[in-house]
Amino acid sequence: MIQVESLQKTYPGRKGQPACRAVDSITFSVPKGQLLGLLGPNGAGKTTTVKMLCGLILPDTGRIFVNGKELTRSRIAALADISAVLEGNRNMYWRLTPRENLEFFAALKGINPAKIRGEINHYLERFRLAEKSDVEARKLSRGMQQKLAILVALISQSKVILLDEPTLGLDVQASHEIRQLLKEIVAEQGRTVILTTHDMNVVQDTCERVIIVNQGRVVADDSVHNLLDLFKVRVYKVTIAGELTGEQRASLLSMEEVLIQEELPHQTVVSVRLEKSEVLYEVIGILGSNNSVIESIDQEQNNFERVFLEIVEGGAQVV
Amino acid sequence: MFRKILLMQAFIKKEFIVSKRYLVNSLGGVITLYVIFLLMFGGYQGLRSLAGVGGGTMEGLVAGYVLWLFMLTTYQDAWYTLRTEAQQGTLEQLYMSVHSFGWVMGAKVVAGFFFNLLLVAVLLGAALLTTGVTLNIDLLSLGPVLIGTLLGSWAIGFAIGGITLVLKRIDSYTQMVQFLLIALVAAPAGRVLWMRLLPCSFGSALISRIMVDGMNLTQIGMGDLLLVYGIGLVHLGLGCGIYKLCERKAMLQGTLGHY
Ligand SMILES: Nc1ncnc2c1ncn2[C@@H]1O[C@H](COP(=O)(O)OP(=O)(O)O)[C@@H](O)[C@H]1O
Ligand SMILES: [Mg+2]
Repeated sequence: MIQVESLQKTYPGRKGQPACRAVDSITFSVPKGQLLGLLGPNGAGKTTTVKMLCGLILPDTGRIFVNGKELTRSRIAALADISAVLEGNRNMYWRLTPRENLEFFAALKGINPAKIRGEINHYLERFRLAEKSDVEARKLSRGMQQKLAILVALISQSKVILLDEPTLGLDVQASHEIRQLLKEIVAEQGRTVILTTHDMNVVQDTCERVIIVNQGRVVADDSVHNLLDLFKVRVYKVTIAGELTGEQRASLLSMEEVLIQEELPHQTVVSVRLEKSEVLYEVIGILGSNNSVIESIDQEQNNFERVFLEIVEGGAQVV
Repeated sequence: MFRKILLMQAFIKKEFIVSKRYLVNSLGGVITLYVIFLLMFGGYQGLRSLAGVGGGTMEGLVAGYVLWLFMLTTYQDAWYTLRTEAQQGTLEQLYMSVHSFGWVMGAKVVAGFFFNLLLVAVLLGAALLTTGVTLNIDLLSLGPVLIGTLLGSWAIGFAIGGITLVLKRIDSYTQMVQFLLIALVAAPAGRVLWMRLLPCSFGSALISRIMVDGMNLTQIGMGDLLLVYGIGLVHLGLGCGIYKLCERKAMLQGTLGHY
């Protein structure tokens, strides 16, 4: 449904600042009906990528296909299939009510508002906005405005919905509600949704697949499930009583996969990242050579946050 | 075509809802514009009695005022829309329409035209009542010339709107355009030939011939009318060209939605 090929964007430097490479050769594709999370720290290039998909920022190089149509060549046709809620969910008029906003933006996307009254009502109910459907948008709560912003994107019937930080600044409850609605919509309507976030919990909870970006590059692209697994299985923590001998330390340090995490007189913790399972046995062998007592071997409990930090901060590459 | 009409309807409806909902603001705007007229009127009378000469007529003043008003609201419609939509972040949505942005803005300014027409009609009525003068409001003659004249206002609006997208700080200087428009209305383009090349000026001169001197379209002649449109279209082309250049720059530096 979406294909992005070697996308690159350098912002011209302003006022004597050097030019900024925001997106550096990003490639990915998203099949129909997938809920993809674009995860990365602030400044990773998520917003830039999304805006390039929307045709609002011109890339230096690279190509974007939406449903087979190339964005730069047939902009209008490609954009007909895309709706977006961009940074700060400002895709609505503050002085119009939710209903009026939905009608206006439907017309903007070429849909006769008179023909979708039923649908508008249905969505307003479902997003629990019906009661406020005739209140000006500026008077709604943040959470409600956010829901309206998403509704405005949904009402266009576009096949692809892009959401830039859809839960940013929301309280836990509102954030939860929005994630739930998104999952339902994708499951029912088979629309393709790409959401960006810097919050790993959102991805872990909502998305099937995650692309992790850092400094404008894709550093991981896998199902959320796999990524979690990968790291969970791969890291073991071996704790022994007492200190390491110099020989043991030298052998361990010569192994790339091993990190001596903690060395105290009474206890030493060694963490092992496994590429092959033999490594763990080898480590156990080394540790056992001094008649050290192995107190425990733990599988590290990894949550998504750890995986994310490991990839982003450790510079690990999992693609 | 049907979808384009839908879009125009949507703009008209939105404009209508907002001006009704914010009626106090809308009326405040009308009253401000009327007060401006009163000041011009008072100043004019003061000047005339001071100098003891009758340079220009009261009819000319009223005609000039409404024409300026129409040009100002038309220009604002283009420029101010671009600026506020960029500020609100809705400009990016307008760019993602199923219509090209040119059509979207076209629908928007055509919708705005009807509201401006209403506003100008009300203030024209008020100005006529205040001064007691009569003008030749020959709609059949005025309409074609007026639209040709307004092409220049749209041109200025798009050009400045485009520049604002790229140089946000230009904002504070845009006030000057109001005075520029006065100069364009007042330019004696009927007599000084090169002034016909200025945006709106020649059209303004023809409109004052109709409203003040009581001429009609046949007396003005096809040649002059075509000239008004020719000049207007050239300006509009230039204005849109400047806008397009600025739009490209904004898309390159990623500032279409920032403010
Ligand atoms: N309009 C712009 N002009 C110059 N630099 C920009 C602009 N927008 C973003 N950047 C820079 O590009 C990088 C990526 O930004 P962005 O795409 O907004 O990241 P994210 O959305 O992941 O936080 C950042 O270093 C940011 O400072
Ligand atoms: Mg961002």
